[in-house]
Amino acid sequence: MTPIQLAMLLLAAPFVAFVLGLVCFRNRHAVASGLTVAAGAVSLGCALMLFLNGPIAEPITTTWLSSSGLDIGFGVLLDGPTLLMGLIVTFIALCVEVYALSYMSHDPGRGRFFSFLGLFSWAMLSFVYAANLLQAFIFWELVGLASFLLIGFWYQKPTAIAAAKKAFIMTRIGDVGLFVGLIFLLTDAGTLDITVVNQPETVAKLAEGRLDLITLLMFMGIVGKSAQFPLHTWLPDAMEGPTPVSALLHSATMVAAGVFLFARFHPLFMAAPATLEIVLLIASITAFLAATMAVVVLDMKRVLAFSSISQLGYMLMGLAAGGLFAGMFHLTTHAIFKALLFLVAGAYIHHVGSNDMIAIGRAGGRKMKATTIGLIAGGAALAGIPPFAGFFSKESILHEVGAGGHTIPMVLGFAAAFLTAYYTFRMIFLVTRPNPESAAVEQEPAGAQFGDDHHHDEHDSAPWPMRAPILLLALGAAGAGFFGDALGAFLGLEVVHPPLAEMAPAIGIALAGVALAWWDFGRASADQVGFVSKLGALHTLLVNQWFIDRLYFGVIVRRVIDFARLCFGFEQKGVDGGTDAIGLRTIEAGKSAARSQGGWLQVYVATAIVVVSILSLYVSL
Amino acid sequence: MTLEIWLIFAAVLFAFGIYAVVARRNLIAVLIGVELMLNAASLNFMAFNRFVATDPATGQIIVLFIMGLAAAEVAIALSIVVQVFRNRGGIRTDDLNELKG
Repeated sequence: MTPIQLAMLLLAAPFVAFVLGLVCFRNRHAVASGLTVAAGAVSLGCALMLFLNGPIAEPITTTWLSSSGLDIGFGVLLDGPTLLMGLIVTFIALCVEVYALSYMSHDPGRGRFFSFLGLFSWAMLSFVYAANLLQAFIFWELVGLASFLLIGFWYQKPTAIAAAKKAFIMTRIGDVGLFVGLIFLLTDAGTLDITVVNQPETVAKLAEGRLDLITLLMFMGIVGKSAQFPLHTWLPDAMEGPTPVSALLHSATMVAAGVFLFARFHPLFMAAPATLEIVLLIASITAFLAATMAVVVLDMKRVLAFSSISQLGYMLMGLAAGGLFAGMFHLTTHAIFKALLFLVAGAYIHHVGSNDMIAIGRAGGRKMKATTIGLIAGGAALAGIPPFAGFFSKESILHEVGAGGHTIPMVLGFAAAFLTAYYTFRMIFLVTRPNPESAAVEQEPAGAQFGDDHHHDEHDSAPWPMRAPILLLALGAAGAGFFGDALGAFLGLEVVHPPLAEMAPAIGIALAGVALAWWDFGRASADQVGFVSKLGALHTLLVNQWFIDRLYFGVIVRRVIDFARLCFGFEQKGVDGGTDAIGLRTIEAGKSAARSQGGWLQVYVATAIVVVSILSLYVSL
Repeated sequence: MTLEIWLIFAAVLFAFGIYAVVARRNLIAVLIGVELMLNAASLNFMAFNRFVATDPATGQIIVLFIMGLAAAEVAIALSIVVQVFRNRGGIRTDDLNELKG
């Protein structure tokens, strides 16, 4: 098959699964889930063949909109980053779909769930393969819609609905910026084709201030989508969705879309140094801030959520410091180990019935061997312990940031690396080295979720549809780091190997984090509370996530709600009340007029006589 | 005997008729009131005929018509009264208020 046919098949398969699943097989769960998994496999096959075919620099497009000198194409761009990202998305999506077969097997709505998963992968893949920013934007929004539907999948839960709405609205704030940036780009550069926009001639056409403005507006969309400070608060709440959704949303789809957009327009961004400064600052603040929040959380999925925010910050740091390869590399490795960690968390939660790491540890989570192997491999990759995948990619990011001479981002990056190692191994130790005598307090006892109807089987292992993806991804998390050179060659980018002397501090800092985690949580006599929790004020600050959510609620959300209430009151009392009053007064007037129609014959006669006499008097006078 | 005396007499008669129609609660009394008013009108015609008209026949013809009309009216009205009495067991005007609003 030609590349274009492959690409079309790749995009069509999940779409067909989505439509058929939602329209025809919503209540025939086996068919809907089978369709989605089959579509995922087809997509993966296509993505793999396209990947092996190698990159094609020129986009394959056809004209879609043509109006007064404006030509907007529609098509696919099959260059290096696209093919890599497409492969990651299809691979992770298939792993998650297979995993979900088992994870969601008792859910009454799983037909709907799997068709939404199809929508999610279709939207994300279409975004990745898009050759045109407008086309990409359409699917960018569809990705947001799919994650809204999946986060709010358990629509009976009020918290899930709130989280879904929050995710949608927060990302929408950024999307407005992206859309305005898109319009400016169209008016100034006259084109939205990704390859054309990235050419130096096009960039040179833009005025200095306009370029900064456009890139900043586009970055706004990235901030929303990739959950960067200050719009990061939706991502931890997005944990309300089923765990496979979190695995997909945090690794390859949704949040990765923002980073990928930045990588897509890397040459454009590189031409705007003022924007890059801001991106670098925001990304490093995000990386650090989110890492601090992860240190005190006990909910396993929330720890991972904060780590996602933090790692996305790293990716943007790398990209903004000029390291396209470093950013893409970390995007790749992170997709693998973060999907792995979420699948691991899901397996524990499914088995123990609690999100609480202490409860998972005390309920014997470590006896699930495959899952625990996955936890350690994924955790080590996240913490950046050599030779796991995360080490290489994080190393190249820190190298890029350091080479650029950015001091503050560098310091924040190292601090975040320390905290990452600390909270990751805190998670690992709490699960694998449970200590019933420790001072740690479970916030959610085992079995708190799923209730009595969830009978988890006695043998201590997850079913194979859950185990197989975990083991496969664990292999990836352990080994993906060694493919950096191959990846760089594929993308046609220069791979910089940092010298050992430069690696040493990063390794040291990660190991220091691990050592502190061992002291606080790992050793036999540890109280498993953590040094942060002993510092009252700091603990309060971090548990409340720096009060950012509260601030938003107090300053913005409450004002909006007040205003909405005002409008509601006006609508009820003013508009509704006004029209109601007209009706009510008419009825009352009718009733009082009807009272004169008393049926008293003689009163009528008397009235007639009086009226006639008055009339005759008037006439005669 | 002047025209005025006849007119005043007719007006008094008419007023009695109005009183009967408006104030009495018995349907037959109301009918009598109507007859009184018709007769008052007839009396007026006759008085004008006697003192004012050039052709003495006009007023008398009208009065004859009024008498015939009154006879027909009483025949119908009395049969209605009989039916009301049969159906409702009384002929008080107060009870006949079904058509109120």
